[in-house]
Amino acid sequence: MNINVLYRPGMAMAKVELQHGEAIRAEAGAMIGMSTSLNMQTGMTGGLGGGLKRMFGGESFFQNTYTAHNGPGEVLLAHSLPGDIEVMEIPQSGLFIQSTSYIASHPAVNVATEVGGFKNWFGGEGLFVLRATASGPGQSVVFGAFGGIQMLPCDGSLLIDNGHLVAWDTTLTHSLVKSGSGFISSFLSGEGLAFRFQGRGRIWIQTRNPKEFGQSIASRLPPV
Amino acid sequence: MCDPRHTGGRVCLWFPDSGESMQHQITHGPSFSMLRVDLNPGETLVAEAGSMVARSESLQMAVKLNAGGSSGFLSKVGSLLIAIVRKFIGGESLIVNHFSGPSAGSIWIAPAMSGSILHRRLQGEKLVLSSGAYVASVGNVDVNMKFGGLSSILAKEGAFMLEVGGQGDLWFNSYGGIETVDLNGGTYIVDNGHLVGYEGNLQMTMTTAGKGLMSFAASGEGVVCKFSGSGRIYIQSRNVESLIGYVTRLLV
Repeated sequence: MNINVLYRPGMAMAKVELQHGEAIRAEAGAMIGMSTSLNMQTGMTGGLGGGLKRMFGGESFFQNTYTAHNGPGEVLLAHSLPGDIEVMEIPQSGLFIQSTSYIASHPAVNVATEVGGFKNWFGGEGLFVLRATASGPGQSVVFGAFGGIQMLPCDGSLLIDNGHLVAWDTTLTHSLVKSGSGFISSFLSGEGLAFRFQGRGRIWIQTRNPKEFGQSIASRLPPV
Repeated sequence: MCDPRHTGGRVCLWFPDSGESMQHQITHGPSFSMLRVDLNPGETLVAEAGSMVARSESLQMAVKLNAGGSSGFLSKVGSLLIAIVRKFIGGESLIVNHFSGPSAGSIWIAPAMSGSILHRRLQGEKLVLSSGAYVASVGNVDVNMKFGGLSSILAKEGAFMLEVGGQGDLWFNSYGGIETVDLNGGTYIVDNGHLVGYEGNLQMTMTTAGKGLMSFAASGEGVVCKFSGSGRIYIQSRNVESLIGYVTRLLV
């Protein structure tokens, strides 16, 4: 399997080239185009429970698995927001991904919806978070963002504004903190809450905040 | 920096970026630019409220009103009024954040709209920016609101502009990519929704693109900014009003 990301960072698209016998599992609605030699199968990965959990988590209820049964083929995938796509080989410790960012992964990758806890919810990132674990080496996950994707290495601690989180190594712990020193300054500053990451690992952030973008446009729309 | 497409009777002006600029990096352009500034102890970055993406924990954030520094109660009230006017008319945020720390640290900044970020090292020059284009600055940079004149009230974007000057580093943003046009004694017309800013010895007047009522109503251009003199104009490749119009049609 060969995955190339084209048109970065603004309007990225993942081009997945499958060899005979290979497959990739993707969110419903992510497919832009595909070779006719590929076979698409729709299913609820993890059964009804898995589907429901996914739906609450912000992903699609159904997922499509594209398999190259009759020779090699390609499938083009993208998420709905304008922005970057990152392809990552899942490290042995696993990867946490924001549920709205997940696009596709190797079929042997276990993508579990976990309750992110109230800190995630108050942080505006949603109640659920995905944990992607690989069952072997060389298994990749594809995720997208609103804006560009930047990897920030964390060695000690790092403060990330909520709304900009995409994915992070499971070796990191995070907590929700006030961005400023007091409540009023946190509120007035426009930053509000932030996530404090501790430990050693990598964090992927998106360079635009979809909520802020939406608010700056929404405030100028005529009343509907 | 000097695009040959813009010469042809006009000489390309070069603005030397001499002096020690701040350690910074602008990535993910031209659509989703993000700025990283590395601060040394004692250096302070002033940024628009809500623009922080991430920062080292060694940097602390202080929230200040966007009205310039001064002390005393009455001047604080005056500052609050100025900051409110700026927020609702100027398009700049009411609050700015000052980031600094006892030890070195990095901070990542991004504006709300998609587009580019440009860096400008100021050494006493004045730069005029459209409201909302200011992102961040380091050093002795003053940001004042400037009224564009009665004719500019017609232009939704251009009633108030920001006049930025002083000594230091300035970062400003655009909706879309940034194109620079250098003028040397000539004239140029910019659609007012596409103006990011300008500097140098330029006179700007608001006018209509074509002549006559038909052209004003039907051309879709409306009010434009006409520049003459010598200086540099910053243009953005997208127009927020067009986006608003597009989204509004989809909502109905």
